[in-house]
Amino acid sequence: MENKWEMLGSSNEDREKIWSKNRTFAGDVWFRFRHKPTSIAGLVIIVLLMLFALLGPMFTDYSYSTQNLEVVNIPPRMKVYETPDGSGYLYVTQALKVVQVSRDGIMGNQLKKVREEADSSMTIFDCSGTEVALYYGAKPYVIADPQTRVIYPSAHVWNKSYVLGTDSLGRDILTRLMYGTRVSLMVAFVAAAVNMIIGILFGGISGYAGGMVDTVMMRIVDIISTIPLTLYVILIMVFLESGLQSIIIALGTVYWVDMARVVRGQVLSLKQQEFVMAARTIGSSTRTILLQHLIPNAMGSILVTVTMLIPSAIFMEAFLGYLGIGLKPPLASLGTMCNDATENLRSCPHQMFIPALVICLIMFAFNFVGDGLRDALDPKLKK
Amino acid sequence: MSEQNILEVKDLTKHFKAGKKQIVHAVDGISFTLQRGKTLGLVGESGCGKSTCARTIIRMYDPTAGQIVLDGTDITAMKQKELKPYRKKMQMIFQDPYASLNARMTVRDIIAEPLMAHNLVKSKEEANDLVYPMLERVGLTKEHANRYAHEFSGGQRQRVGIARALILEPQLVICDEPISALDVSIQAQVINLLKDFQEEKGLSYLFIAHDLSMVRYVSDDVGVMYLGQLVEMSEADEIYRNPLHPYTKGLLGSVPIANPKLARQKEKSSIEGDIPSPINPPSGCRFHTRCPYAVPECSRVKPELVDVGGGHKVACHLHK
Repeated sequence: MENKWEMLGSSNEDREKIWSKNRTFAGDVWFRFRHKPTSIAGLVIIVLLMLFALLGPMFTDYSYSTQNLEVVNIPPRMKVYETPDGSGYLYVTQALKVVQVSRDGIMGNQLKKVREEADSSMTIFDCSGTEVALYYGAKPYVIADPQTRVIYPSAHVWNKSYVLGTDSLGRDILTRLMYGTRVSLMVAFVAAAVNMIIGILFGGISGYAGGMVDTVMMRIVDIISTIPLTLYVILIMVFLESGLQSIIIALGTVYWVDMARVVRGQVLSLKQQEFVMAARTIGSSTRTILLQHLIPNAMGSILVTVTMLIPSAIFMEAFLGYLGIGLKPPLASLGTMCNDATENLRSCPHQMFIPALVICLIMFAFNFVGDGLRDALDPKLKK
Repeated sequence: MSEQNILEVKDLTKHFKAGKKQIVHAVDGISFTLQRGKTLGLVGESGCGKSTCARTIIRMYDPTAGQIVLDGTDITAMKQKELKPYRKKMQMIFQDPYASLNARMTVRDIIAEPLMAHNLVKSKEEANDLVYPMLERVGLTKEHANRYAHEFSGGQRQRVGIARALILEPQLVICDEPISALDVSIQAQVINLLKDFQEEKGLSYLFIAHDLSMVRYVSDDVGVMYLGQLVEMSEADEIYRNPLHPYTKGLLGSVPIANPKLARQKEKSSIEGDIPSPINPPSGCRFHTRCPYAVPECSRVKPELVDVGGGHKVACHLHK
């Protein structure tokens, strides 16, 4: 139509035409999803975290369990002292050892100890032929010339060998973070999926059947939820061997009660609507009514519940790690990493902050994506 | 049982429990027959049990008592599974075109659902062969098939609802106030579509409405309901020309007339008061609490629906 102001004919086609664009369901969902900046941001974060967790370990020189007790609790940004010849740096570890650091921050060998001068609180090391003294009489420990007692100029360099530093056992935090993110994402996805399926089926059947069936099924849910869910998970974990599988089983079998309640409530109100009555007068089977009419229409609240569930699953896994009934020690998860870091919280806060930050990122991302999905899946919000 | 009756309803009763001992007498002993190819209009105030009656007939609710005979088969006590083949014969058009279509389904899927439910088609492609002609039949096009219901106007949605009800080629269609949620201009469109289908396929309609002029236009027979009971029933023009029951008179008297001169001449016979609670319906004739002609007998004895000549039935002590 060239002139939009021209009078339309009375043809049926013009009168009945819908002028908005026609898109497939998937296209429609994607269109609405990508027009919300927060949901795209969430999706990008999740994809990046997944790449980080799955592909990251290929690019590191360490494994999650490699220990190097000579370099424990090293921060990402190190305070270093220049070597006497000025060609590199020296770093003092917590164990009062001196490690060579190159100009761009790569950690080298440990210096050899020459002798101890206990009366002047100094340890003398050999730095490529020259003697340097580590003075430990007062904090902070410094490196000085043993004769003139002049402190070498200090500087701060970023740690290139251990980008995020090391933990109290000398393990690379970056590598452990990759494995930890992997575990957390896996727990989140699997637990959410299991909970969703059990919750939807249980709640859907309970709400749809109504009457006695509903009463009995909901009392079961009530009984389960009278005891804090955390306690169940702990009890289940005590019975099962600790490990990733057990965590998933424990979380999957307990956390569906909220989902079941939400789905039931939705189904109860939806089943009174005329389109469900219509489906019944048509003769559609219960299965069709549940899966095609009730659950798709309840999807909004289901997704919101899932996005709330994912962070709590991640937290639960972290909490179990904290209690020591989660993953077995050399394995890393974000929770166990936080737990390990509590011991050195004062001296090395980064060990706690980094995994905590990743937990936050994951939860933000899932919340944003869930929010976006809820809106995108509702065709009534079509633009 | 006559072959020409598509639907026979005898003493249909539906009570709902409200609280512990209270019972809502939604439908109380309704009897009527509907002939093949005809339309029976049911009118009455809001809350008089019209919709409950329709929903009980289509077995959305289980009847408390009475008998529903569809095309010679008693479907009163059938379980939902046994009922399934009979659902093909009987379909329903709903009142609210916004609530009666699933927002998460495309129009194609909505119209194809009855075909899928009764295994009449094996694939979506096969369903499309039936859905597209039906869409065109109700004045929509193929292009509309992939749209979601909320993208349509009210009239278009109601036509989608009609297409869904008619794709199984039922013999009886229960129209539960199909036009009351639509614009006047769209009402005519939908009504004419329903009439066209009736002529084409010999459908029978049970047409529920509170728009009296529209009921007169579409119906062959009209039944007037009050508090769950039929108070008068007759051929459509007869009931409008010669209403016998005081309630029918009041109902017709409350129809506004466009011409002010005629309106002034009209006998004022509006009904006073509100409809009594169906939990404790009045004894005897249920209308006696609001009836201007009530006599003592009315509150004691329930009047039966009797033929006063020419198939005009009325339940009133004044007409025997």
